[in-house]
Amino acid sequence: METILELKKVVKKFGSLTAVNSIDLKITRGEKVVIVGPSGSGKSTLLRTMNFLETIDSGEIHFEGNPCGYIYKDGNPVLDCQKNLCALRSEIGMVFQQFNLFPHMTVLQNVMEGQVTVLGKSKEEAREVALQMLEKVGLSDRATVYPVTLSGGQKQRVAIARALAMKPKMMLFDEPTSALDPELVGEVFDTIRSLADDGMTMVIVTHNMGFAREVADTVIFMETGDFIAKGTPGEFFSAETQHPRIKEFMDKLL
Amino acid sequence: MINSNNKLGKSGAFASLFLLFALLIFPAVSLAAVDADALLKQARDALTIGQIDQAQSLFNQVPAPGPDGDDGQFVYSRMQLARISYSMKDPGKAREYAEQVVVVYPDNVEAKNFLTSLDRETKPEWQKTLEDCKRFMPNLLKGASMTLLLVFFTMIVSPIGGLFIALGKISRMQPFMAISWFTIWFFRGTPLLLQLFFIYYGLPAIGITLSPLAAALIGLGINYSAYLAEIIRAGIESIDDGQTEAAKALGMTYSQTMRRVIIPQTYKRIIPPIANEFIALIKDTALVSTIAMVELMRAADQMFNAYFNVTVLVMAAVIYLIFTSVFTFIFEKIEYKVGVYERR
Repeated sequence: METILELKKVVKKFGSLTAVNSIDLKITRGEKVVIVGPSGSGKSTLLRTMNFLETIDSGEIHFEGNPCGYIYKDGNPVLDCQKNLCALRSEIGMVFQQFNLFPHMTVLQNVMEGQVTVLGKSKEEAREVALQMLEKVGLSDRATVYPVTLSGGQKQRVAIARALAMKPKMMLFDEPTSALDPELVGEVFDTIRSLADDGMTMVIVTHNMGFAREVADTVIFMETGDFIAKGTPGEFFSAETQHPRIKEFMDKLL
Repeated sequence: MINSNNKLGKSGAFASLFLLFALLIFPAVSLAAVDADALLKQARDALTIGQIDQAQSLFNQVPAPGPDGDDGQFVYSRMQLARISYSMKDPGKAREYAEQVVVVYPDNVEAKNFLTSLDRETKPEWQKTLEDCKRFMPNLLKGASMTLLLVFFTMIVSPIGGLFIALGKISRMQPFMAISWFTIWFFRGTPLLLQLFFIYYGLPAIGITLSPLAAALIGLGINYSAYLAEIIRAGIESIDDGQTEAAKALGMTYSQTMRRVIIPQTYKRIIPPIANEFIALIKDTALVSTIAMVELMRAADQMFNAYFNVTVLVMAAVIYLIFTSVFTFIFEKIEYKVGVYERR
């Protein structure tokens, strides 16, 4: 399988704290990677390095086979020019824990915004795509309202539609259900699952083990910036092959 | 005594004849003039010792001028009588005397002015006030339109200037940060009055001479930009970082993020404090009167000093209140409109 995104010895530090500790990771096209782990383990930070919201301290990121996002001065990575970064980011969709919908735009405008501003599409074209995406997440009837009137689950589905409208090559989900009431988690996971069924490449950071098991091709357990374990859901969750630290973590969750 | 009288009698009779002869030769007017001067002198003397009745009757004896006019004695006497009557609380009589003058000299300014002010005096208070208003209004409106010009200009320029200063201050580029920091530090840290003086009186020293209007516009523009910059900066920084991240993740550039996502969200938060500044601005325009600009305050001040009439100050206050009320109303409407997305 063709590798879409590759991290090579990626390090991210916050002061003296190493959040991401020399991580190597290959994500192939269509793969669903789920990253789990305790709070402060660096999983969100790792995810955010993938679309350059966090600037790495060393290492390389390759997208579709080419090193990108950074230029190297004396071997140290320095963020590339804005133009290149924006082009890269527009190909990688991201969904945030706090939704981060634009509150001053209607649902439809939220989904159109990136297409018009970044991709330079006409409004008519963007509206058509936006309505398709809202249809996909089951919210075409809420197109004209402002986000304030939506429930958390609806907001997150709009956020997914907003990212999808850019026709991204892969999607990043940063704890997409952590800010939701338990009864709203299902609708968001259903949406993500249908994306997975369409063959979208995805990296998902979550605490929901059930969902990880169900949707993942690869599950990664991360702690203090390192990968403790990585494998298929079968390896990851079966009692014989399970890493003792993961068992301990999962026992705490219950 | 009798003898000498007799003696003088002859020469007296001779003198009388001579006088009669002289009088025949001299024009009658001349005689009247001499007569009138004497009368006026007596009348004034009577006035100085308080014999007002006597003075009035003497003034009254000054005859109307003949066809060739006189040297002003008639006008003087009648106007004196008019003033005396007025001070004796008899405006009707006073009017009669002044009108006597107007009958003879229809263009006499003194009599006409007297009649005008007499008209004013005898009018009811409200009518007088109304007339004051009519009299002061044109100049006040001229001043008010200048005030409005200053206000509108500053309202357009300062948010733009303020935005750039704010963006400079939150940028990570040293020169922009430094310029922004200095502008805010200097123009917020010194009185507007001093800045206006500096621009209007100080800049000519380095070869830049500005008209009062240009100096006023520059001073108000920069000063208010500096104030608004801090409000706008606070507005931008109050927007959740998640918004910037979401915009970035879509691939937006910094300027697209600011223009499309961040700045529109600041409106709701910065409009109340900006409205506050603009209300202060309406009143601060009064300061430019110190650099030879005639705006509302200066116009009111000039007329107040000329007429010593408080009405003009009250009118100016009312015009300022109308301005501030209208702008308050407009800003409330705008605030409601830009916040519409926050209402469920």
